[in-house]
Amino acid sequence: MDIVYTQPLKELLQITSYFKEKVVVLVENEKDEKVARTNGFFPCYLVSDSTKDIQKISSKTKAVLGGSVKNNEFATKIKADFLLQPSNTKQFFDLGLAKKLSDNDTTVVLMFEELMSKNSFERHQYWKNFAELVRYCKMKKTKFVVASGAKDPLHIRPRKVRIALAEILGVEKEIAEKYLSEEIK
Amino acid sequence: MKIEKNKKAIVPSSRREKKRYVLFEILNATIPEKDFYFGFWIELLSFFGSKGLAEINPRIVLYKDNKAIVKCKRGKENELIAGTAFIDKIRNKKIILNPLFVSGTIKTLKEKADFKESEKKETTQTKGAQKEQSKKEIDKKNL
Repeated sequence: MDIVYTQPLKELLQITSYFKEKVVVLVENEKDEKVARTNGFFPCYLVSDSTKDIQKISSKTKAVLGGSVKNNEFATKIKADFLLQPSNTKQFFDLGLAKKLSDNDTTVVLMFEELMSKNSFERHQYWKNFAELVRYCKMKKTKFVVASGAKDPLHIRPRKVRIALAEILGVEKEIAEKYLSEEIK
Repeated sequence: MKIEKNKKAIVPSSRREKKRYVLFEILNATIPEKDFYFGFWIELLSFFGSKGLAEINPRIVLYKDNKAIVKCKRGKENELIAGTAFIDKIRNKKIILNPLFVSGTIKTLKEKADFKESEKKETTQTKGAQKEQSKKEIDKKNL
């Protein structure tokens, strides 16, 4: 399983079919959802606290872009399926949040492209915060996944690479593989 | 006075440092060998630093047809693979580095990458050429 943003379909199809992996596409409206579904992708609604009519999409897969205490709390409130980038150069993740996410069966996601776009100083802060985040996730058995988070199809990373990245952060190999191969609703 | 050459002490294979070979393929662009060396080292060095890179000890053993075999220390292959995730551009060409196989011997990787056949052909060709040359030389001498 990989998570990417909405992007040019032709290239995305080429690359994903080469890697032979299920891809979750983050969508914001029904039109995008239909396009994703017809092309064999799994659509997932990207939700924020300003999104109207959340009740309409309550039965669908939802993801929340974290990165602040407010957004992280919002993800626990709506029981989102994915919490993307809960921390960045600053740490917004703690044991309490990990416990809540574990109870809600929410998967914490590191979007690799965001990390890659940073300079070396910011990268080390990201790395430190995510290593700490993984430690909390392991303690509370919260799911953690490294996803490409690509806006450009050429920034999609192969599965083996993402497993290796998760391993470096402290997740055991078997567990990283298990989380990545979990079925998408 | 005779000068005796000091023989290199051969470390027995059991005491040599254990290594792993990783086969990578480069997707989306064809890249010359030199450029690949350059891009590969720069990105890994910026991510791991000189100490980290020394611990992994990566070496590009073979590069052919957009496929590369990289040697590293045993147990560090995951770090090597993770480090290659940061390589997204080489000489302004966007690429994806895809790790295909990890192996303890270079032979199996060569087989999997289809290096062996082409190498065999080359060697047979060169052998044939050598034979022809030696034949010609003999003929010349005879004449």
